[in-house]
Amino acid sequence: MKYIVKTCLILIVFAGLLASCGQPAPEVSETTSTTMDGFDTLNLTVPDKYDPPITMESVMAVDATVKFLGDNDIYNNVWTRAYSQLLGIDMDYQWVADGSMFNEKLGLSINSGQIPDMFRVTPAQMQLYYEAGLLADLTDVYEQEASENTRDVLNQNPTALKAATIDGKLIGIPLTDAPVATASLLWVRQDWMDQLGIAAPTSIADVMEISRRFTEEDPNGNGVDDTIGLCITQNLWGAVASLQGFFNGYHAYPTIWYEKEGSLVYGSVQPEMREALLALQKMYAEGQIDQEFGVKDINQVTETIAQGQCGMQFGVWWNPYHPLNLSQQNDPTAFWTAFPIPSVDDQVAKSQYTSNVGALLVVRNGYEHPEALIRMVNFWTDNILDSEDDEIRRIFLGDIEAPDVVLYKYTNVQLWEPDATLIGGKKLREALASKDPSGLDLDAQWRYRIIQAYFEQGILEAWVEVATNGPNGAVSILEQIAVDRGMMNQFYGVPTPAMAEKMPTLQTMEDVMITKVIMGDSIELFDQFVEDWYQLGGSEIVEEVNTWAEKNQ
Amino acid sequence: MKQIVEKRPILANTHLPLILLGAVMVVYGLLTAVMNTWLANRAMSGLITAPVYRSRLTGFEQTAGLVTGIILLVMFLLTAIRSSGRVRTAFAIGAVAALSPILAGRVEGLLFNVIGIPTMGAGSVIAGAVVTLLFFLPMSILFIILATGRSMPRGVRWISLVGFLVVLVTSFYPIYVTVLAFLFKPGDPAVGRMIQTSTQVIRLRFLLPGLVFLLLAWISTRFSQQQTEQKAAPQSVEQGE
Repeated sequence: MKYIVKTCLILIVFAGLLASCGQPAPEVSETTSTTMDGFDTLNLTVPDKYDPPITMESVMAVDATVKFLGDNDIYNNVWTRAYSQLLGIDMDYQWVADGSMFNEKLGLSINSGQIPDMFRVTPAQMQLYYEAGLLADLTDVYEQEASENTRDVLNQNPTALKAATIDGKLIGIPLTDAPVATASLLWVRQDWMDQLGIAAPTSIADVMEISRRFTEEDPNGNGVDDTIGLCITQNLWGAVASLQGFFNGYHAYPTIWYEKEGSLVYGSVQPEMREALLALQKMYAEGQIDQEFGVKDINQVTETIAQGQCGMQFGVWWNPYHPLNLSQQNDPTAFWTAFPIPSVDDQVAKSQYTSNVGALLVVRNGYEHPEALIRMVNFWTDNILDSEDDEIRRIFLGDIEAPDVVLYKYTNVQLWEPDATLIGGKKLREALASKDPSGLDLDAQWRYRIIQAYFEQGILEAWVEVATNGPNGAVSILEQIAVDRGMMNQFYGVPTPAMAEKMPTLQTMEDVMITKVIMGDSIELFDQFVEDWYQLGGSEIVEEVNTWAEKNQ
Repeated sequence: MKQIVEKRPILANTHLPLILLGAVMVVYGLLTAVMNTWLANRAMSGLITAPVYRSRLTGFEQTAGLVTGIILLVMFLLTAIRSSGRVRTAFAIGAVAALSPILAGRVEGLLFNVIGIPTMGAGSVIAGAVVTLLFFLPMSILFIILATGRSMPRGVRWISLVGFLVVLVTSFYPIYVTVLAFLFKPGDPAVGRMIQTSTQVIRLRFLLPGLVFLLLAWISTRFSQQQTEQKAAPQSVEQGE
């Protein structure tokens, strides 16, 4: 017995020692000193350094969620130090504003004559400031200075540079993302389908039938009539619980411009909308759509999803990360599956998507060093974007030990690869099939492990990764959309004059009409809307858009 | 003064119930590992969808778990009946572990739909922990009782200690890794590698304790034979004289 007791004690002490010695939590550096940033130890590709250093005045949007380490702040952080020490560019932020106030403050600042050397704008702002002669032409400096990686990233999205070009001049550097990532998919509660013995939807008729059964057959099993077939928000369009996917099933493409009979047309006023509206009206009348959807915003719909009352919704590929993940709050077996948009007939339905250039970086006309912006972009694309160097990622992007401190938010220069989601998803699925994650980068390896945890350990919470990046997941559907199941908004320029003036009113008219028709008003309201739309400025916009198209083909 | 305790085998007459107990655990462990690996490989290759994978696995777990659980219960009770003293107590307590395979594939519904406890966004982890605890607690008590039994042969006590450690590691390492991966260190490459190890460890959860039972049966049988031979030896000498 003594031996057993002794052995147990030794084992316990030994285990305790191991636990205390193993994997000490690395301390997150809080220093601001040059050497402690460790730039000199990194294998970085650095453009020519300005000597003597130049100053670049800029402005920044910093949300309340942005956190800093130690005595770092927006004026003194790893990015300002890197620009200063490695590129010879001293950043001088004139002001910093919350993201929601940024555009307003920028407008006030520019109107008062205080124009930063480099700043971030929307496409509409770029057009406005270009016409006012405030922005520098970046065509030549881009040609001379842009690195291969920068060109590669900006060319992945064929519309990105075009969206930044006015009158044949490159005016801004587009902050890119994947256009196809905005395409709608059909998300369905797979566990409900399995429970009710429903097959995967392949047509709009299937969608209607699934919606009916989800509404009538109590799929959440709580004995209360509280389930909704199709969730939509009062905003109608967007990334979550939106309607464009449903309309796409009827070959209608609301809110975007596409080619029809040789010219660009506005999707919302095309006759294909009519049948889809009638179908939605029927679903609403049968209780398959929330009777109060007209006053429910995204937060309220998210609550419906979290409570396990929503069975289907049209949304983008990343919806499982939020809000669909919340379904598991009440039901650990909840699983949403993505499907390509089903069609109303035998023609393939195409998911609509838009060119995703929401912001650009521009340089003040008259600034002595417009090429400095290109060098900063090069620094990002050459060193940060695809880096698999843990130390570079830790220093410039963030430390795993402090996940709430996102370091890249301290700089305006953030470009993401448009094709990264698709390429990464394909590589991940190949690694899963071969069970060999060795060729993946760190981020993809983590996704691999999470999917593995779902399949091999039964960790159901990992479904989010399975439904997005896993085999047959949403990203694999995006690939099909990118090839031949997509309909891109073919107007990707800055708003035309009539569009800038009249489109907000027309858009409101459109949203009101759609909401009213769904809630039971006569379909003639749609016909009236189409007539009004053209009369109240639509004809002029169509003309301008087609003129733009002729110039930009 | 040191009290001398007479050593006894685990079971007096035959070790068959203990052998069958170990064998059933080994077979169940192997079967679940093979089935899970096969289905997971098909799902990860995209040959079957994730929902199909889940439904097939759940179906298998429910059927195989129920059958195995009942057989295990019978074997535990038979072993308890055929033994005496603290060994009987140990195996009677161990019988509770038979509930673990029975509940596999059913526990989510039981906990969150029938009892109605909140999932706290970690339903499957909680459910997995409950099934694991149902196996770990009785099994660890069983092995501790055997390991501390002074009437047990020394080999039985050492192997029982090993059995306890095996149950401890195979039960809690996967839970530890899951908590790290999803709560404390999401994205950490080191934890990613631990998930890989954890997957292998989970597959040993029934297999290794089953092997421990078989080893115990073997050691105890040998001890029993040696004891019989030792008792028979003086009689032979006396007869010879």
